[in-house]
Amino acid sequence: MSEEKTFPAIPPAVSTGIACETKKDSFLQRVMDGFAEFCRARSLFILHYCTGCGAIELPPAITSRFDLERLGVSPMVTPRQADILLITGYVSIKTLKRIILTYEQMQGPKYVIGICSCTVNGGMYWNSYATAKQLNEYLPVDMYIAGCMPRPEAVQEGLKQLREKIESGEANSWEDYFKRYDHYLGNQQHLFGDDWHTPTDVIGEARHYDLLGDESLGEHTVRLEKYLQHHQELGLTNVELEPENKELMER
Amino acid sequence: MEWYTLLIEFTLMPLVAFVVGLAMVLMMRRLRARIERRVGPPLLQPLYDVIKLYSKKTQISHGALHDLGIMMVIGGYIAAEVFLPVPGMMGMAREGDLITLIYLMMVPSLGLALGVGQCANPNGSIGISRALTSMLAYDVPFIIVVAGAIMVYGTSNLPTIIEMQQAGGVAAWGISVMPLLAIAGLISTHAMLAKEPFEVYVAPAEIATGPMVEMSGKYLGALFVMQCFQIYTVSVIFVTLFLGGGENWLFFLLKIFAVAAISSSVTVIFPRYKTDQVIRWLWKWPTGIALLGLAMVMMK
Repeated sequence: MSEEKTFPAIPPAVSTGIACETKKDSFLQRVMDGFAEFCRARSLFILHYCTGCGAIELPPAITSRFDLERLGVSPMVTPRQADILLITGYVSIKTLKRIILTYEQMQGPKYVIGICSCTVNGGMYWNSYATAKQLNEYLPVDMYIAGCMPRPEAVQEGLKQLREKIESGEANSWEDYFKRYDHYLGNQQHLFGDDWHTPTDVIGEARHYDLLGDESLGEHTVRLEKYLQHHQELGLTNVELEPENKELMER
Repeated sequence: MEWYTLLIEFTLMPLVAFVVGLAMVLMMRRLRARIERRVGPPLLQPLYDVIKLYSKKTQISHGALHDLGIMMVIGGYIAAEVFLPVPGMMGMAREGDLITLIYLMMVPSLGLALGVGQCANPNGSIGISRALTSMLAYDVPFIIVVAGAIMVYGTSNLPTIIEMQQAGGVAAWGISVMPLLAIAGLISTHAMLAKEPFEVYVAPAEIATGPMVEMSGKYLGALFVMQCFQIYTVSVIFVTLFLGGGENWLFFLLKIFAVAAISSSVTVIFPRYKTDQVIRWLWKWPTGIALLGLAMVMMK
C-alpha cells in the first residue's frame, strides 16, 4: 500500500493553478504558528450532533450553571463554521453516514469529541446489530469523554484538556483522516457497502493541502474511481461538489 | 488638507473602527452573558475568534463571486468609515455627506447577496432574500429620519452637523430638538444590526444563520470583522445625528457604547419576529413615529 503506482486506477492530480507551498520553518513562522495555536485553543466553535441521551448534559454546560463561553466555547449551527464535532451518545449505522458527511464538510483544523460510553465501545448497545461500536474506526476522534452519561463538569474538563492538546500542537488527528483515508474508508465501506461515497473529494483535498500519506490510497479508495472520474469530467476534482439530494435520499 | 494627513487618516480610521468594534462586540457578549446570569467570554475573545478563523488550514471557496462578494462586504464598510467623522479625524467627511454614507452602507448587503448567491445553499438564498426584504423595511423609517435631520440642521454635511450641536450644548443636540425622530432612528438602527426581534435573516434555529451558512474559515472571519464595523458604524451615525457627536474620545466612546448597550439589552429580552411581521411592524411604528416627528419639525 506504500506506493501510489500500485493503484493506477486513481487518476493523477489536476492542477488548480493554486499551489500549496510547504512551510518554511523560520523563526517568524514558528512565532506566528504558536500564536495561531494559542488563539485556536481559546476559540472553539462546537457543532452538536446530538443523537443520544448525552445531549441532555449540554444545555447546563453551555447555559448559566457552568457557562462554557468562559472557555471561548460557543455553539455554531453549520459544519462549515464549526471546529469541534461533538457526538453525544450512540451512533446507529444510518446516523454514522450523516456524521461522516458532516465531518467532511468541516474545515481543518477540526476536532471530534465522543461523549458517553456508547461512542467508546457501544455502551449498553454493544450487542446491537444497528450501531457502530467504536467511533474512531470511522473518524479520527480527538477525545472521548466516557460515562453514562458524563456530567457537565466532565464535559468541561474534557474541553479543557482538548484546549491544552491544541495549544501544545498535539491535536492533529484531522490530518490523520487524510493521511490514512484508505483505512477509514475501508471501515466505512465494511458497514455501508462497497458503493459508499461522499460528495467531498477527500483525496483531491489531501493532494491540494499536501496531506497525502502512504495510506491515503489503497484497495478501498480504488472503488471511488468512477466517482472521481465524474468529478474530473466536471473539472471539479479539487473543489467540493454539492450533495445531490436524489442520491442522498436513496441511502 | 495635505496628502499625507489624508493617507494617515485613511489608514487609521478603519483601523480604529475595527478595534472599537471588537470592544463593542465584547461588550455586547458580556452584557448578554450578565443578563443571562453567566460570566461571559474573556477579554480578548472577539480577537481570538477572528484570528482563529483566519488561521484555519483548509478553505472552501464557491467561486470568484463568493470571494468578490466578501471583499465588497469589507470594502463597503472600510469606505464608509472614511466618511464618518471621529474626534480629531475628518477623513473625507467634509467632501462627502450623509447621503454618500447611506449609499456606502448598502454596498455590504449587496456584496453579501452576490457572494452568498454563488454558494447555492437554499438556506443562504432564503437568508439573503430575507436580508434584502428587511433592508427594505428598515430603510423607510431611516430615510425619513435622515430627511428630518437634514431639514433641522439645514445641511447634510456631517462635520457641520456636529459643530452645530456642540456649539449649542445639550439643548441643541438632535435628541432634544427632534425626540420623535431620535426614537425612530434608534429603532431603525437597531433593525439594521439584525438583532432580535429583527433577526429574521440570521435565525440560527430556523435557516442555520442564513447568509453565513456556507462561510468557513476566512470567509466567516471576514463576516466577524464586518460585524465589528457594522455595530461601530451604526452607533456612530446615531451619535453624530442625535447625541452631538464626540467632543473628545472619552465622551465619543461613552456615547457609542451606550447606544450599542441599549441595542444589546433589547436583543436579549425579545424573541424573533417573522419576516412579514418585521415589515408590518417597521412600516407601522417607527415609520409612524418618524412621520410625526417630521411633521413637528416642519411645523416649527
